[in-house]
Amino acid sequence: MFDDFGWENLPPLLDGMLLTAFLVVSSGILGTILGFVLGLTRTGPNRPGRILSAVYIGFIRGQPVLIILFFVYFVLPLMFPAASVSRGVTAIAGLSIYAAAYIAEIVRGSLLAVPVGQSEAAEALGMNYRQKLRYVVLPQALRIAVPPGIGFLVALVKATSLTSVIGYVELTRAARITSNINQEPIATYLIVAALYFVVCFPISLLGRWYERRLA
Amino acid sequence: MNPIITVHDLHKNFGDLEVLKGIDCVVEQNEVVCMVGPSGSGKSTFLRCLNLLESITSGSVTINGHELNDPKTNLATVRQDVGMVFQQFNVFPHMNVRDNIMLAPTKVLKLSTEEARERASVLLEKVGLTDKADVYPSKLSGGQNQRVAIARALAMQPQVMLFDEPTSALDPETVGEVLEVMKALAEESMTMVVVTHEMGFAREVADRVIFIDHGVIVEEGTPTEVFDNTQHDRTKAFLSKVL
Repeated sequence: MFDDFGWENLPPLLDGMLLTAFLVVSSGILGTILGFVLGLTRTGPNRPGRILSAVYIGFIRGQPVLIILFFVYFVLPLMFPAASVSRGVTAIAGLSIYAAAYIAEIVRGSLLAVPVGQSEAAEALGMNYRQKLRYVVLPQALRIAVPPGIGFLVALVKATSLTSVIGYVELTRAARITSNINQEPIATYLIVAALYFVVCFPISLLGRWYERRLA
Repeated sequence: MNPIITVHDLHKNFGDLEVLKGIDCVVEQNEVVCMVGPSGSGKSTFLRCLNLLESITSGSVTINGHELNDPKTNLATVRQDVGMVFQQFNVFPHMNVRDNIMLAPTKVLKLSTEEARERASVLLEKVGLTDKADVYPSKLSGGQNQRVAIARALAMQPQVMLFDEPTSALDPETVGEVLEVMKALAEESMTMVVVTHEMGFAREVADRVIFIDHGVIVEEGTPTEVFDNTQHDRTKAFLSKVL
């Protein structure tokens, strides 16, 4: 079966894998930054900020990723013609919007997991909110946030496959194109499964390494 | 007379539960005040109101002339003058002992690293932990951690130290080392408010003992007055159980 795969079809699949990895890295970074801000605002002293981020998190977590992608790609340009963007930008934006909501919840949970006594000790020493956050609460919260954060990144890898539906040629889309060409779906999808694993496994390793370092 | 803390008609409610029902209290400079009373009497809540870790429902708390409930008061600035030691130590687990002590002086008081380090060394010697400067709190006993917490609070050179049941979470054999440090502080004329169940400590070190029950001050006076010449039945009943 692999004999008929046609190894000249491998480079397009590898290109797809690279684009998948690129999507994970870019939306992972953007989503982490946005999610971080949302998570801090969600637990912060500013009430309108808390409400706004709660609404964002609640609403986005209640949407399928596919709907977010459709919204950015099809609906926004209909409402605002200037908002018409390429498939790549849509893919990154949609996944970042999705990732931010989940990472915000991870950040929020980690902040709340730091014992309240730590906060009180910092306040009793005369620290203001920023100092308390920066020197006492965040360093402890980030350690707590890393394992679930890694878990979410792995989930994000798999979510990138949904961008194939708007025509972005990442690994899943590349797989469909290839199997249409060589008519060897079994071999093609087995190879694609292996390639997804190649993207996910280093992230899992990173998480395992981190947890061992803590122990 | 130079009052550091003035509390007037302090009330504190948690929802419908009234925990403090009008406390009046003045703490003079260099005074050591011990607050005693049964669990749930409100003594810890009272102490936490003194640096606004608990909000005040009504009444006033004035520290060094700064009214805590006044919106114009910069709370963080007032708190720099009020050291607090907690029952659960609350040392910072992600930094070693020296950094625990240096953190607030460098970040809040903006001392140079050298100055803060010097301060930390002096304090570590005072609490007997010079050899533990580079150790992380997880490697220390409860008593050692509590002494770190005391040194950390002292590093801000506060006007007054608040102790919230500092020995209640300790193994019996490490209680003594913490009480020794507190006794030494009292002898150096540090102003202290101590919530405690250590009646021996209160008797020996306190200038004044305050007995709180059900959110009111039932009785106060010198240790001799409160412990040996008890006036109120509630105080007598409490003391008969703990002494």
